[in-house]
Amino acid sequence: MRRSRRERRRERPALRALTSSAMALLGIAGKASAETAIDHYEASYSFSTYSEDELESSKTIPGGERKRYDIKTQQVSLAAPITEWLDFSMQVTHETMTGASPWYTTPDAAGSPIQIMSGATIEDARNDLNVHANYYTEEGRLGFGGGYSKENDYTAINFGTDGELLFNEKNTTLSGGLGGSFDEIMPTDADLYPTRPKDKSKQSYNGFVGLSQVFDRRTILQGSFTYNWNRGYLSDPYKQVFQVGGVQNYGDFRPNSRHQFAFLYRLNRHIEETESTVHLSYQYYIDTWGLSSHTFELDWYQSFGDAIQISPHIRYYTQNRADFYVPYLRLGQRRPEDMSSDYRLSAYGALSFGLKGEYLFHTPWFRDIEWRLHGSVERYLSSGDLSLSSVSVAAPGLVSFTVFSVGLETKF
Amino acid sequence: MKRVVRAALLGLSLLSQSGFASLGWQWDKWWSDVKMPDFPAFDEYTESPKSYVQIALEHDFLVRVKPWERAVLARHDMAWDPDELEAARRNHTFFSKEASMPGGSAGGGGCGCN
Repeated sequence: MRRSRRERRRERPALRALTSSAMALLGIAGKASAETAIDHYEASYSFSTYSEDELESSKTIPGGERKRYDIKTQQVSLAAPITEWLDFSMQVTHETMTGASPWYTTPDAAGSPIQIMSGATIEDARNDLNVHANYYTEEGRLGFGGGYSKENDYTAINFGTDGELLFNEKNTTLSGGLGGSFDEIMPTDADLYPTRPKDKSKQSYNGFVGLSQVFDRRTILQGSFTYNWNRGYLSDPYKQVFQVGGVQNYGDFRPNSRHQFAFLYRLNRHIEETESTVHLSYQYYIDTWGLSSHTFELDWYQSFGDAIQISPHIRYYTQNRADFYVPYLRLGQRRPEDMSSDYRLSAYGALSFGLKGEYLFHTPWFRDIEWRLHGSVERYLSSGDLSLSSVSVAAPGLVSFTVFSVGLETKF
Repeated sequence: MKRVVRAALLGLSLLSQSGFASLGWQWDKWWSDVKMPDFPAFDEYTESPKSYVQIALEHDFLVRVKPWERAVLARHDMAWDPDELEAARRNHTFFSKEASMPGGSAGGGGCGCN
């Protein structure tokens, strides 16, 4: 027999009390499922530094610029319940970037490519605001969001909607979303460099569907498909292509349309005997630029009692090259319609590993608030040798970096 | 040796014809906790066999846990992204430094792509 909506609502408080007390026992009430709006305020802050390794001296000209990018990132997020069925969240990011970035590659005496870095030091800042609101019903969730991001030379505005439908007594979740982003690029010093356009725009339209299934009391699985269509100016105005014997460098020319497809599979399992949780994920990606990639990730969350958690993780990434990637054009080589010397479009593999520590505590002397203090370090290494696809000559500009981060989170 | 294996396989196939009933094996005890539907696995109008998917759904095979069994699933570290800020930052970094895009969500923007 179908029960009325009011009857079903009436049993909610009891159920919620039960689940929330179970969550309280576990020390923290993470928003693990999308059953209801959050019932408390959440605020978090995080600071991180990102620094790229210096270019190896063998990969550039003698005396050439070797320093690369450094980024300092500050993030703030706030989430608040509006009603029992409605909540709101926002994220603010402020980043400052300094350093040099890869410009073009030339052959050395032996013919293997070496990297020339941008001469002037880049100084830039990025501010990003994202807002999101969720409406919950018994059967699922509907969300709307938008964002605005601004750099000296880049402005992006995006909108999106996403939702979840719950089936099989909330054991199965069908999720999906649609979004669009409208970006404007205004390269700096466009009058000094003939290869840099003054003002260009690009748009992207994307959608995803996902299905997640509770497998047992401690295992959950998810598969999803994401599609993204980029159109407009997709080249990098700060990159050039060198030709042996050429009068001057060419600009970076990429097709003005790109369809991207990503298939992501995830599995989370908690192991009660050792108080640990394992996250496994695999993503296959393919696009119409001839690129495809595989990403494997393993995260291990190890709890030591209620207060301490240490989480190591490892990630492996491999991609093949885009159809139009060229380190440089040979003497007399005809100029292809599309070409780029961007190392990110070359074939390579990357290995990253990290460690994260978390400490949970209460402040009984101050409103009995819950806090979560965390710090992490991540090391990322990329090289042609790590690639699964064959690499004849690895791009000299492949990046390796280190990220340190600290953060504080609270619920009240 | 081959002959022994063949004889064993023959014996197994004969026994399996009867569902191992001659060994006192009772399959219905294995599935005693599975609720069988009141009607046979045929569509009553078209008399066409039902797919395994349909039968599985009718048996609630996808209802794996009850609300009171969700304590572990509600754990902070069982969320897909336990730390949303960190996930946002890492996704943005990989998006900027690799040619792929992170799957599983829509929206997002901004570059920082040097």
